[in-house]
Amino acid sequence: MRVLVVEDEPDLRDSLLKALREDGYAADGAADGEDGLYKAETSEYDAVVLDIMLPRIDGWELLRGLRKTKKTPVLMLTARDAVRDRVRGLDTGADDYLVKPFDLSELLARLRALIRRSASQANSCIEIGNVVIDTVARTVLRQGEPVVLTAREYALVEYLAVHRGKLVTRTMLYDHLFDENDATLSNLLDVHVSNIRKKLGHDFITTRRGHGYCIEPPL
Amino acid sequence: MIFNSIRWRLQAWHGLILVAVLAGFGFTAYHAARDNQLRRIDQEELAPRLMIPLFRPGPPGRPPERGPEGPPGERPGEGRRRFDPSEFRERMREAVEKAGALDSSQTNRFYYVLWQRDGTLLAQSSGSPKTVSLPEHTAAPEPQAPPGNDAAGGPMRPRPGPPMPPSGRTRGEYREVFRTLPGGEVLLIGRSISQDLKDMQRLALRLAVAGAGVLLLGLAGGWWLATRAIRPIEDIGATALKIAAGDLSQRINVADTDSELGRLASVLNSTFSRLEAAFAHQARFTSNASHELRTPVSVVLTQTQTALARERSAPEYREALEACQRAAQRMRRLTQSLLALARLDAGQDPMRRESLDLARVTRECVEMVRPLAAEGGIELRCDLPAVLCPGDAERLSQVATNLLSNAIRFNRPGGEVRISTRAENGVAVLTVADTGQGIPAQDLVHIFERFYRVDQSRAGTQGGTGLGLAISKAIVDAHSGAIEVSSQPGAGSTFSVKLPLK
Repeated sequence: MRVLVVEDEPDLRDSLLKALREDGYAADGAADGEDGLYKAETSEYDAVVLDIMLPRIDGWELLRGLRKTKKTPVLMLTARDAVRDRVRGLDTGADDYLVKPFDLSELLARLRALIRRSASQANSCIEIGNVVIDTVARTVLRQGEPVVLTAREYALVEYLAVHRGKLVTRTMLYDHLFDENDATLSNLLDVHVSNIRKKLGHDFITTRRGHGYCIEPPL
Repeated sequence: MIFNSIRWRLQAWHGLILVAVLAGFGFTAYHAARDNQLRRIDQEELAPRLMIPLFRPGPPGRPPERGPEGPPGERPGEGRRRFDPSEFRERMREAVEKAGALDSSQTNRFYYVLWQRDGTLLAQSSGSPKTVSLPEHTAAPEPQAPPGNDAAGGPMRPRPGPPMPPSGRTRGEYREVFRTLPGGEVLLIGRSISQDLKDMQRLALRLAVAGAGVLLLGLAGGWWLATRAIRPIEDIGATALKIAAGDLSQRINVADTDSELGRLASVLNSTFSRLEAAFAHQARFTSNASHELRTPVSVVLTQTQTALARERSAPEYREALEACQRAAQRMRRLTQSLLALARLDAGQDPMRRESLDLARVTRECVEMVRPLAAEGGIELRCDLPAVLCPGDAERLSQVATNLLSNAIRFNRPGGEVRISTRAENGVAVLTVADTGQGIPAQDLVHIFERFYRVDQSRAGTQGGTGLGLAISKAIVDAHSGAIEVSSQPGAGSTFSVKLPLK
């Protein structure tokens, strides 16, 4: 899952990016509204964390601009807990809001819920055959036994599982699993898929040669 | 308690006054009617009967002949007889009896009583009450008959002088009128007035009933009036209650601005408006202050929570701690500024009024900010001739530093800041002009407001608290001075501080 953090306070942005990356997200940062809008429009993000007070373009305007082309879920960060601000945010197209100062765990939980909602998935657990993916605990069980995955492997499994039954192209995977600073080696994905197959069974991920990957839902 | 309400008190007073007025009126009306009735009885019924010729001193020996119905008549040609008192008395006795008998057939039974001069009962008509007694205060003199004359039983006959005015009295159920005859006898006529008294009682009852009716009507009218008069007050009270409950946008509906209550309502409304504005200002200030504090607190929270999520290397911990330190320093700046503003607002720490050289104070500040200017490649141009004015050197240097650091921070790279002092028109002027972006006209009016930023997003990143100019203005205001700004977008802004020279 790939997340964009638009926040002008460098210390806050950096710690948010760090926390998100450690939680398995691919995370990009933007220091002002203009940069944020550009990134949000040109890249595929699963969610955007958006501060309201921003240089150049403020959060409201960014949101309005983004909503013209994209439905990316947006979590707004407001420093005012005035009802008016929250209502305005939700009306402009924000999917959720969080009042500063917030707890990191709450931000991560709301982000997970946002992404789950946008994938029309009500349950935080995804069951595919004998594999159960718990998106809250970020664990995978195979026949009741926990399977150890790296953060990147887990992200790949989760992304494919969320979009199960659909073809997921390599470009989509690159877009959603790697942030702009990752070295996008062409065989990196293949390595991850191969490792996952070793751990979860060879048939768990189907390869559509020349197109991408897919997790077939159990019949 | 409900009876403490103004309406009830008004009603109570109104009721009391109404009762007093009605009672006074009823009492007066009753007594006027009663006196009137008694006077009528006296004048129309009793007094004429006293005056009839039957009781005129007439010739002795011949009792007056009377028809059964005609009033006792005067006999002409009988006047020149000798007057004999005993005979006269005898005649009177007969007359009394006759008169009493005459009237006994009528509904109003009159009775006659005649006393001798010494108070002994001379004659009494039948039907007169047993209790009748000689009226007091009838010791009328006998002017026509000198004592000697009478005592000797002399031939002198009393002349018919001016008739003695009869007086009346009410004795229980009887009304009596009496007069002193020329011979000193007291003749009394009376009749029962029980019927009249009953009429009077009926009148009193009617007055009481009418009074009660008027009282009820008056109380109802008073209640209605009080309700009407109090309604605006209740409106005011209800509105004030809503305002007290926290809805400061409420206003009293002023229908009639010229009435006393209308004027009161207008005054209250304007007070409420000022109160609302003050509260809004306060709320905005608090909201801004908390807003300013939220971002550094967020930094501390996320930095520490991220750092503590797992084991970190020493450089990572250091990085997190440094971020926390920056956030804490920002909060300290903010709280110090807020405290300074609060002190200035409260008028604590009064300004010192020592004579100082504004140019010298400014020069010290220029030296202080020189490194900051050098960082941005900004040239500081000073034109600082000495200007003496009274003031608080420490506070004024705070103002100068704030203006200087703003001029440097918001300047273009390689720009310049011109600093000058001068004295003109009785004021000392300090001018700080920069060559920065300038300030848009719509922002100029708000520039000295607390937390107002031309670019809201510059909060924090530029290190400012958003309070610098507000504090500067508060300090200058406390010096009875003025701080002004003019700006040309794209060419730069000029801030002027004007302080009175004396």
